[in-house]
Amino acid sequence: MIQLKQVSKNFQRQQVLDRLDLRVKPGDRIALIGQNGAGKTTLIRSLLGQYEHQGTLRVFQKDPRIERVGVLQHVGFVPQHPPPLQMNVGELVTFADSLSEKPLAEKVFELCRELELDLREHSAKPFFKLSGGMKQKLLIALTLGREPELLIMDEPAANLDPSGRKAFFQQLSRFPKSTTMVLSSHRVDELLSLVNRVVEMDCGSIVLDERLNGGISRGRLMDCELTLHEVNDSIRKVLETWQFRNGSGPGRYQGEIAEEDRIRFISAISHFSHHIQELQLGKP
Amino acid sequence: MNSFSIPLGASVPFKSVALLDLRESVRARWFLVYLLIFGGAVVILISLGITESQVMGFTGLTRMLITYFQLCIAILPVFILITTVRTVVGERESNVLEYLLSMPIPLGAYYWGKISARFLVVFLPVFAALAFSVAWGTLQNLAVPWQAVSYYTLMLATLSWCFLGLGMLLSTLVRKQEWALGLAFLSWLLLLLFLDAILIGVMLQHKLQEEVIIFISLLNPLQVFRTGAMLLFDPELTILGPASYVILDFFGKQGYLIFCIAYPMLLGWMFSLLGFRLFKKGDLV
Repeated sequence: MIQLKQVSKNFQRQQVLDRLDLRVKPGDRIALIGQNGAGKTTLIRSLLGQYEHQGTLRVFQKDPRIERVGVLQHVGFVPQHPPPLQMNVGELVTFADSLSEKPLAEKVFELCRELELDLREHSAKPFFKLSGGMKQKLLIALTLGREPELLIMDEPAANLDPSGRKAFFQQLSRFPKSTTMVLSSHRVDELLSLVNRVVEMDCGSIVLDERLNGGISRGRLMDCELTLHEVNDSIRKVLETWQFRNGSGPGRYQGEIAEEDRIRFISAISHFSHHIQELQLGKP
Repeated sequence: MNSFSIPLGASVPFKSVALLDLRESVRARWFLVYLLIFGGAVVILISLGITESQVMGFTGLTRMLITYFQLCIAILPVFILITTVRTVVGERESNVLEYLLSMPIPLGAYYWGKISARFLVVFLPVFAALAFSVAWGTLQNLAVPWQAVSYYTLMLATLSWCFLGLGMLLSTLVRKQEWALGLAFLSWLLLLLFLDAILIGVMLQHKLQEEVIIFISLLNPLQVFRTGAMLLFDPELTILGPASYVILDFFGKQGYLIFCIAYPMLLGWMFSLLGFRLFKKGDLV
């Protein structure tokens, strides 16, 4: 479905994507993680045919830069920051409907209702005047309503309230298994139930590409040792939840993690990355 | 769903983009100002009794048309440039383009949809004001110079098209709105200065032949519009002095009238096609 061979992208002299190799099969649901500036958005824009690049990139066996429309008819995209569209909500739905191969409007109304957004109440409002959460909900509904074969979402849940997040994840889980998803997020923990693969990017390279269900032996434990610069109550509570013990010396914690939980654990402690001096995650 | 169905015809996204831009432009504040300026200009000209004036030897509706057209030449280009130059670059900066181009919209449909809508938005109010003045003149039993009205309508359309093309070209050329606005002002200023001041300077410095200077000046669309508008009421172009001999000897009256329509229109197409080429090339967002 997606194939990248030695894909690189430079902005002037800065290399943003560095010889990426990636193969995504139909049904792969990828959590694309990485810090700001890791290259996630650049990769997403390249997949959407918006950036030129070196190397070979194919989506549905087509070059999205050359055969944009043919590729994008089967791709749904939710951006990280809702754009300040001047059109009103009703016009946006009509506009998206006019570009969709299937009737879209009714479905969008239904999906918005599930996300607790009453479209009829807001249909005359300019899109840019909606709150951040409302904008995100509408963009999600417009994308999911098209039932695309490939869903690309850049921090889709960032502006959603807890109930909106829950409804959104439920909507995603209803998609057929054959649907491929690339979900970029900082909070990999909340995506873990939806994805079957984690791809981590750093400085334009893929530093981790892990399938969550294959290759992991359930029940096996991994030794983990964590050295902290500074210990505060928040991180202590997190480590206690994971049943870590204070080890030999201040700031040293030891524990065991189930192999299938290691991504979840890394995600949980990533919020405290500036306190972490060293992390050792050993083989069981 | 696996097989790729027939893509949407380009006309559907074209219409959708054009309609969307039309609606957004009509709602924008600049459009209100635009309407007030050109609608207001006609109302002011009428209320000041300009049709009664006999300065320059013209009277009635003809006098008013000349004044209205001179006003259009002064205001319309800079207005079109300022409002159009932010179209693509503004949508790029605000991530609107990223979102729109994630949908199956052909690049041509986006670009030409935008430019078509903008053309209607800038041309129709100017034309409506012209039509209103003609209707008012008819009600006042003034003789309507139909040939001039038709020619001015064509000229206003090509003037709009020419500067719309330039605006879109500048909008695709740069990546920052400030740069686009700066370039638009600079272009307008250069064209304005090339009407007289720079030309005289060049002529004095390089002692160029009069014909060369005149042909250089005719590359300037503003100059073309100005002289074209004069020619209709001053067939000998006496206002221009000796330059009129060079122009009329080379083109003839009919030829020059055709040139005044064809050249800016061609220029508009050149600018907009070049803009489209730049838009398609490289990164889209």
